[in-house]
Amino acid sequence: MFTQTLLTGLAIGGIYALMAVGYSLVFSILNFSNFAYGSIIMLGAYIGYYAMVRMGMPIGLAIAVSIVGSGLLCWLNERLAYAPLRKRKASSLFFMISAMGTSIFLENLVYATIGARFYNFPELFAKSNLEFRGISIGVLDVFAMVFSFVAIYGLNLFLQKSRTGIAIRAASYDIEVCSLNGVNIAALIGLVFGLAGALAGISGMFLGMKYIVYPTMGWITNKAYIAAVIGGLGSLPGAVVGGVLLGVLETFVSAYVSSVVRDVFSFSLLVLLLMVMPTGLFGRFLEEKV
Amino acid sequence: MTFKYRTMIPLAVALSVALVGCKKETDVIKIGQAVALTGDNSIWGTPEKNALEMEIAKINEKGGVLGKKLTLTAYDTRGDATEGVNVAKRLISDGVCAIIGPGQSGVSIAMSSVTEAAKVPFIATTATNPKVTVDDKTGQVRKYAFRTCFIDPFQGTVAAQFAAKDLKLKTAAIIYDVGSDYSSFLGKYFTAEFEKQGGKLVGNEAFRSGELDFRAILGKLKGTKPDILFIPTQQKEASLIIKQSADLGMKPVFMGGDGWASPDLIPLAGPAVEGAYFVNIASLEDPDIQSFVKDYKAKFGVDPVMPNPIMAIDALYAIIDAIQKTNGTDSAKIAAQLELTKDLPVLSGKLSIDPATHNPLNKPAVIQQVKDGKIIFKMKYVTQ
Repeated sequence: MFTQTLLTGLAIGGIYALMAVGYSLVFSILNFSNFAYGSIIMLGAYIGYYAMVRMGMPIGLAIAVSIVGSGLLCWLNERLAYAPLRKRKASSLFFMISAMGTSIFLENLVYATIGARFYNFPELFAKSNLEFRGISIGVLDVFAMVFSFVAIYGLNLFLQKSRTGIAIRAASYDIEVCSLNGVNIAALIGLVFGLAGALAGISGMFLGMKYIVYPTMGWITNKAYIAAVIGGLGSLPGAVVGGVLLGVLETFVSAYVSSVVRDVFSFSLLVLLLMVMPTGLFGRFLEEKV
Repeated sequence: MTFKYRTMIPLAVALSVALVGCKKETDVIKIGQAVALTGDNSIWGTPEKNALEMEIAKINEKGGVLGKKLTLTAYDTRGDATEGVNVAKRLISDGVCAIIGPGQSGVSIAMSSVTEAAKVPFIATTATNPKVTVDDKTGQVRKYAFRTCFIDPFQGTVAAQFAAKDLKLKTAAIIYDVGSDYSSFLGKYFTAEFEKQGGKLVGNEAFRSGELDFRAILGKLKGTKPDILFIPTQQKEASLIIKQSADLGMKPVFMGGDGWASPDLIPLAGPAVEGAYFVNIASLEDPDIQSFVKDYKAKFGVDPVMPNPIMAIDALYAIIDAIQKTNGTDSAKIAAQLELTKDLPVLSGKLSIDPATHNPLNKPAVIQQVKDGKIIFKMKYVTQ
């Protein structure tokens, strides 16, 4: 049971990690939590569903369409909802309120246009699970885990090695100094949102395939948010570690204590951690900007 | 031309007397119906009304009841509690002797405030909440509230008997939604009956409403190797649990209640749901109702939406029986007689009413199975 629980926990944690990275990416630049991210993930799942089921695209192409579609939506989200606030130098509280509004708007838009029906992806693999000495894992989970870690690794490489990546990292330290050095901040922020959106597309696809597609599926990102906070908001390695850690811990609580107290556990862990380590496991201390 | 006016006045008087006379006319028996004809619930409400009209026309053709014709007065509740109260008031002022419907528990509970005071009985069709017929504040049965459907938890009893006696399975595990009365009570009734039948409960796991991932608790249950996994939830949770059990390599017999009865159960759960059973209130494939289904389809061009039409017709026969036995249309007497209904042949089988709760006793349930990617009628099940 122990190994089985651990493996299940890793599979769940992998999805949390992917979403947490998207959160952290935006937070690292703009210093606010983009609560609309869950809705972008939900839309990513719908886009993938339409591409694959309605238009009959193969899985690879459908994932690509979902990545591009969610990337654009996330970029658009920034242009329409956050860019005007940014120009007026609004405090991050207003960004968060705007994000919540966007999230509720998008959810209700889906209710009003597509409806509350549940959609599901067709079975991708002929054999749904791999079994070894009584330990079993879904083929889709393995696929999702590998794909997620490749995506996160690719993103990390981009941020570490490319010129644009360096600019993004610079902006995450000090956006104004970065701008003084000739970086086009508006374009850079657009790109960050686009990247976060692309991750949302991948998460949405996998969430949809693992579970089902419906308007409030984005609420699962609450957990990803906690994972990002545990890891230290703004830190990408932190988001990955936080996501996997939370997934594994939750699964152990569900399996050895009770599934009912699982969320009590996750959220108390969050509060406790913030009391002891306000910046999370990998977070850096941010000085109050005047 | 004053002459014409003079003749017209007595004529008008005569006519109005005739019209008033019509109101007091006693050669018809008025039955009321509180039914959702618009709004979300109209999918079930409209066939409920259609079926009653069709059945009443048939009865009238054969000479009616006590030599009188039946008439149906149906008003729209929109599935709304406030509107339900208005409808009940209107029906009572129209002088109906009994009311069929509503189909929703919330509407029924609201309506009983009016019907109890007016001493007019109503028979809810698909209102499955125990509070519809028993006031939970006083614990007393509502004298004028009845129903023809079984209450939700009864499905747990049916499922347990079917599993233990017919499938001859020995061990069971339950996964239920701790935030839903429907789910937790179904689970409790299942456990009680399954253990009574000599079965053993090897696992009982709860989850919180809205849960998507059940693999942690499934992993825990996997070690207990249950013969049956009873999942008293809606089709969404059930299909996720079934799908994820397959991920973990578990192959128990899956069972559930009428929450599963949705066409998207099969696409959502995938191939793993094959062979699963669930309890339902009524089924279109039930051999006992085939002539009704045929007539309905011939008249309205579509299949009746289950189970409301069947429950409404059962209610109609219960009222007719009470009218015949009391030899009149006094509402209070009808209510008193309804309580005594025993082994009355109705559309769905036999109807007996428990005087203590006004719920049907040992009402036949339907067992459905997923077979070859379709939901089929397995059998009709009467508990012992």
